[in-house]
Amino acid sequence: MSSATTARSTEVTVELHVNGRVYPARLDSTTTLLDALRDDLHLTGTKKGCDQGACGACTVLRDGKRIVSCLTLAAQCDGSEITTIEGLAEDGVPHPVQDAFVKHDAMQCGYCTAGQVMSAVSLLGEDEDRRATDDDIREFMSGNLCRCAAYPNIVAAIREVAGE
Amino acid sequence: MTATLNKENIIGQPIDRVDARRKVSGAAPYPSDFDLPGQVYAALISSTVAAGRITRIDRSAAEAAPGVLAVLTYDNAPTLADPPTNALGSTMRRPLKDDRILHYGQHIGIVVATTRAQALAAAELVEVDYAVEEPVLDMDDPRARVEDNPFGMETSRGDVVAALADADVTVDSTYTIGAETNSPLGLFTTVASWQGGRLVVHDTTQAPSFMRKALAVMFGVPEESVRLLIPFLGGGFGAGLRLWSHTVLTALAARVLDRPVKLVLSRPQMFTSVGHRAASRQRIRLGARSDGRLVAIDHDALAANGIGDNLPSPIVAGTPSAYACDNLATHERRVHLNIPYTGFMRAPGAIEEHFALESALDELAGRLGVDPVDVRLRNYADVHPESGKPWSSKALRECIEVGAEQFGWSSRDPAPRSTHDGDWLVGQGMAAATFEFYALDCDVRLTIDRGGNAILRSAATDIGTGTYTITAQLVAELLGIEVERVRVEIGDTDQPQAPQSGGSGLAGALAAAVQDAAGALTERLARLDGRPGESFASLLDRHGLDELSANGHSDLAAAAEDSDVAPAGAFGAAYVEVGVDEDLGLVRVRRLVSVIDGGRVFNRKTARSQAIGGAVMGIGAALLEEAAYDPNDGRVANGTFGDYLVPVNADVPDIDVTFVGEPDTFNPTGSKGLGEIGIVCIPPAIGNAVFHATGRRVRDLPITLDKML
Amino acid sequence: MSDIEYVRPTDTSSAVTLVAEDPDAAFLAGGTTELDLALKDRVIRPSRFVDIGRLPLRGVTREGDRLRVAALTTMEELAADPTVRSRLPFVREALLLGASTQLRNMATIGGNLLQRTRCRYFRDPAVHACNKREPGSGCAAIEGVARMHAILGAGPSCIALHASDLCVPLVAMDAEVELLDADGTRRVPLTEFYRTPGDRPDVENVLRHGELVTHVVVPLLPAGTRSGYIKVRDRQSYEFATTSAAAAVQVEDGTITAARIGLGGVGTVPWRAWEAERVLVGAPANERTYRAAAEAAIRDPFTVPGTAFKVELAKRTIVRILRTVTA
Repeated sequence: MSSATTARSTEVTVELHVNGRVYPARLDSTTTLLDALRDDLHLTGTKKGCDQGACGACTVLRDGKRIVSCLTLAAQCDGSEITTIEGLAEDGVPHPVQDAFVKHDAMQCGYCTAGQVMSAVSLLGEDEDRRATDDDIREFMSGNLCRCAAYPNIVAAIREVAGE
Repeated sequence: MTATLNKENIIGQPIDRVDARRKVSGAAPYPSDFDLPGQVYAALISSTVAAGRITRIDRSAAEAAPGVLAVLTYDNAPTLADPPTNALGSTMRRPLKDDRILHYGQHIGIVVATTRAQALAAAELVEVDYAVEEPVLDMDDPRARVEDNPFGMETSRGDVVAALADADVTVDSTYTIGAETNSPLGLFTTVASWQGGRLVVHDTTQAPSFMRKALAVMFGVPEESVRLLIPFLGGGFGAGLRLWSHTVLTALAARVLDRPVKLVLSRPQMFTSVGHRAASRQRIRLGARSDGRLVAIDHDALAANGIGDNLPSPIVAGTPSAYACDNLATHERRVHLNIPYTGFMRAPGAIEEHFALESALDELAGRLGVDPVDVRLRNYADVHPESGKPWSSKALRECIEVGAEQFGWSSRDPAPRSTHDGDWLVGQGMAAATFEFYALDCDVRLTIDRGGNAILRSAATDIGTGTYTITAQLVAELLGIEVERVRVEIGDTDQPQAPQSGGSGLAGALAAAVQDAAGALTERLARLDGRPGESFASLLDRHGLDELSANGHSDLAAAAEDSDVAPAGAFGAAYVEVGVDEDLGLVRVRRLVSVIDGGRVFNRKTARSQAIGGAVMGIGAALLEEAAYDPNDGRVANGTFGDYLVPVNADVPDIDVTFVGEPDTFNPTGSKGLGEIGIVCIPPAIGNAVFHATGRRVRDLPITLDKML
Repeated sequence: MSDIEYVRPTDTSSAVTLVAEDPDAAFLAGGTTELDLALKDRVIRPSRFVDIGRLPLRGVTREGDRLRVAALTTMEELAADPTVRSRLPFVREALLLGASTQLRNMATIGGNLLQRTRCRYFRDPAVHACNKREPGSGCAAIEGVARMHAILGAGPSCIALHASDLCVPLVAMDAEVELLDADGTRRVPLTEFYRTPGDRPDVENVLRHGELVTHVVVPLLPAGTRSGYIKVRDRQSYEFATTSAAAAVQVEDGTITAARIGLGGVGTVPWRAWEAERVLVGAPANERTYRAAAEAAIRDPFTVPGTAFKVELAKRTIVRILRTVTA
């Protein structure tokens, strides 16, 4: 049995590895990664838009791959490497995707933006055929809703970084 | 002294959104990101029937549940005053007023507990029995109460009956639009606390000044004792223009407990708690001469409204000013149903009006054998058709002509079903738009400090349109300083009052007030006897001043009343190409050209984003979005983001945006507002393109695949 | 505040025991179905989540002309498998047309098979009439807003749709499911794994409580087979199918010699169109044959006003995929 379990308990002890830091936490067993990030770790850059895996606003990277943190228990991530929007910049230097989003105005209200950026960062590490054309980028960014519809600007931002 | 925008060194320039860095780094705080010391959490109890009365409500199990601090329902909550009517004409039935149930999802109580999970769990323990009544859900239900001309907006000129009878060609079509939800990504949130008798609320609202007034009245405190804070909104599209019951209930719970209370709506609750675009049915009758000149427009609109609600849906408001036509009549009716409260949704009324009128014009063009572009141009209103006054500015002709050129309209084969591409029929359609002028009064305070930095304060909000950015640009331009030296402090009702971000009216009103303030401040600075080339910092320093401030005010609506021009809103034209897979019923937008006359454009980058955003929401309205009410119990049967479909990235083709026209002559800054013009042409342009592709006219939005089979 | 216990066993037999011993315990794999239903919609109330996410049940193995897919392989991992790309291309297509990349990185193959219906009446605990949740309580969907609902295998007790894309080609391929419980392992063909609702819509498959899906075994397409998956929906992406179809056919000298057809968006279970296959095999590869196959596939549908359009749409979907793969 893993350390994440205790005898007939509805609480769990987990070690969350977020943005290179280790956060030991004692949580309700059903605490989602999203709620743990926002409420317990106070990393509020990751947003809740639907809480049911249908909007992508809560996208983070788990061991380098994009997931929705609303349908993931914090307990399931015990020991996994989580990257959130707060962890993208290195030594204060923004990630190129963040710069490109600013330049192309790939946001309006900004609420979905963290999820869009995380998804875009992940996309750049996925198969190249997922960003070969604008239509490919559109398809593989379709898990992130943007009601303000910055979509064409998001595509332009990703295209620019992908082409570099 | 007046400051004027006689140069465009900074204004108009496509600078990066000034808050972009905060947004891409997750640092911009939205209401749900605020937590206060000692804060506790609320959950709502919602009705599970659409009509009837509560016969029993048992709080005991919830009250006994772990962590629970309060359970408030109609029979134990302190009584509040009724909310006032505001400039938007909307009133709200006071929450927890009595035992009546008027719609599914009505908030019938609020539970507060130490943690969010405890509150949610306890809310499920409240037992409610209802005396259920059969809800009135259908517009044609004979039990439904229908009001004629509820807002006094009906107009007529000439003799429409005679003109229709004499017309060479007529169109008589009925258009329906399903209910649509604003569905901003940000979950509406209220964090309320009473601090020494003062109510402080972080709330998702587009109209903080209105909300302050309303909350003050309801809670019986002076207006100064209410403070609304909303630095970043998370989208609204009109959903934040009304005071909603969850805000009131959270503030009430905070008062009862004397602790900060936080409530975040769930996504399903967003579908029943923060309004929607009402379902509507319109009948348009057009009469024309064989040369394409309109001789009659008769427009009848019916829109749904909640029971006990009183919200305008101004569908026929813009019809009289759209085209030059001597004989015109509009009729408006409102039908009250057991549906969740309606609200304002981007271009309220105008999107409905344009879908009907611009589709009917396309039908007319087909019957006349005249190009749809020419029909618009032959009926072009060179002066305002109602007042006869010249427009303050109007470049609709350029919108139509530039759009046609960019789209390549002249190479379009006018015959329906004329173009194929594999399994796809390809069609092209267009529409034009005239948006109504709208403005409310606005106040700002402009300060220059000893460091040479300017601070602009106002209770306005930035809902993503770029208010922070264009305001900074305006101040920088008017004071002749760098944008980086301007700080914009908005989203706080402790600042001077401002109108809502809605009706495409904020930018114009705010800009005029900023210009007024800049003029006053410049005058005060001039009195300080500045030396040539001397910086503000040096000037203030020399006079031992820490800062210098001036107030600014605008009231464009009042100025409009005795203006000798007709103040114009924005104009636009859109050209759309669709592909229709007729076998499978699929409709996809392949390209879209949007041309807009918004007067002076304050920032070409954020303005373009506005136009794109409007176009995409228009694609959703045309092809995807409808909130479906269960015909038996009135629940929203598709109230999740998995079921209610808004456009995704893959639905959006290349969108070509062009701005035309000149600075408006009525608004002192030349602006006409851009938030809504981008959406209004899109549904009719798509419907017209679908007709061109297939020969099939779909008069019922959204055009989902089942309607194409 | 939750009353759900969370345990994460490190071996498979412990996992099985931990579920078997508690009638209300549930396996938790990717979480995209289970957490949604338990924590968000709150229509299931497990006492215990047995997190199987780190059990050694991940990866794809080629076994001759079959592919053995461990149940915890994610949708993205399976789509990326080179054998799937080359020998089961329509499985890859179906995978990548489902959900979003984020969800495909989480959702497992076993979980995909066991996903629950998207019926909003099933997923709303405020709805009392749901035979799937509470046998005998009725079906609110039949009288309600039914669009994304089933027309095949449906009946007056339930019209809830099985919304998987992946299962459509899998059921066409005669995939088998390997199951493990305390009594050992067994293999069940996917075509016999699901139960149509009948008068017990709550019973969706042949799984016993505590029985774990450990593998899915998929025969590879014979060389020279042409396959494809089509998904029809209003939204271009990130939407469940209104209708879908998977087809694999072999054509020799203009005659169809082998055919496998699966249908999605129409069935209460992933639907194998046996009748269509019988019409196709031995018939000329032409439009008339395809239409006849489509007519055979959608026989005796159970429709309500909101789903009636699917009868014709499903037929056209079948014709389209057959035309596409034989082109």
